Amino acid sequence: MTAKSIQIILARQLASSIATPILLVDEQNALIYYNEPAEHIFNQRFDETGEMPAAEWTTRFAAVDEDRNPIPPKDRPMGRALSEITPVSRTMWMRVTGGEWRHLHVTAVPLVGEKGLLFGAMSIFWAV
Amino acid sequence: MNVTLWGTRGSLATPGAETARYGGNTSCVGVIGDEGTVLVLDAGTGIRGLGKTIDASVRRVDILLTHLHMDHIQGLGFFAPLFRPDLEVRIWGPVSSHISLRERLMRYLSPPLFPVSLRELPCMISLHDVPCGEISIGEFRMTAALVCHPGPTVGYRIVDQRGSVLTYLPDHEPALGASAFPSLPLAWTSGGSLAANADLLIHDSQYSAAEYVNHVGWGHSSFKDALAFAALSDVKHFVPFHHDPGHTDIDIDRMMKEALAEITPACRITTALEGATFQI
Repeated sequence: MTAKSIQIILARQLASSIATPILLVDEQNALIYYNEPAEHIFNQRFDETGEMPAAEWTTRFAAVDEDRNPIPPKDRPMGRALSEITPVSRTMWMRVTGGEWRHLHVTAVPLVGEKGLLFGAMSIFWAV
Repeated sequence: MNVTLWGTRGSLATPGAETARYGGNTSCVGVIGDEGTVLVLDAGTGIRGLGKTIDASVRRVDILLTHLHMDHIQGLGFFAPLFRPDLEVRIWGPVSSHISLRERLMRYLSPPLFPVSLRELPCMISLHDVPCGEISIGEFRMTAALVCHPGPTVGYRIVDQRGSVLTYLPDHEPALGASAFPSLPLAWTSGGSLAANADLLIHDSQYSAAEYVNHVGWGHSSFKDALAFAALSDVKHFVPFHHDPGHTDIDIDRMMKEALAEITPACRITTALEGATFQI
């Protein structure tokens, strides 16, 4: 397992100590953590999946817009937050483990360190 | 490398008969390599004594600051080698969002807090943002990483040519927010990559477990958590450091005795004592 930066470690510690559903990715959009409230949304415990590359987790948790058009990973809030280095917020449907679809409002925030170094991003989910 | 503890106290210099054995000077550790490279870890009040031992033949000293809290920089202006025109002094410190290292140090090293400003020092002084990653300083390879402590704070991993590893984490609270510490793997633990398999770990152990309960988030560790961090990091020799100014020598002896009665450590432990020297 790759050593994590303190920014990512503290983000996980924050996520693990609050009731807001949160998912963390690294700068490559690999999923590195989601907290217990997010586990309830995804129908999946983090311990059961562990870290996942971008292609794997964005497939496992597929996303569509309000008209049920698929949202490619690069256009999802996490993808845009990482590529545009800006907070991104939108409503979408997400397919969770077991095939159920959840209507969510997702806000992704890039985690930027000193000198503009990108560490990853944090997504916050709200059930609509 | 030769490692000497010149200041072991945290937060505030604490001179007096009750602290004479473990020492009252604030954080400062001297490191001298086999080829004579001189590193100074932090510039607490202990740096004054260290300064008196720098030989006139030394041409360069690197001062590695973990952060700019007062107990880690207060001795800087009393480091006698700064007044040697023939000496190159490089000061390394963590990056801040908007204010340069020079500007932040100048807040202290300028009137009215100190009579001499940085630019008036006779030595050849330069200031450097410490990069997160590995760099070479003389015969040493040095890695820095931000760690869990209020404000920009780094720890250091120093490796000599023989591969001996010193890790210096004087102000560090890896247990903050980590439920049932140390439940997570080393990669997910603040300072873990710096301390992994170190030959000598100098680590914050400011509080007893009972005291820590009322100081969560202050950026320091209990001896119990520090020992757990040392075990998780699989270090060979652990030096509890940064003693609380409220602890007398007798208090520190008692705290260590009580803590070690509950735990069988896997590594050697030597409580930081001002003047102690380690050869690794």
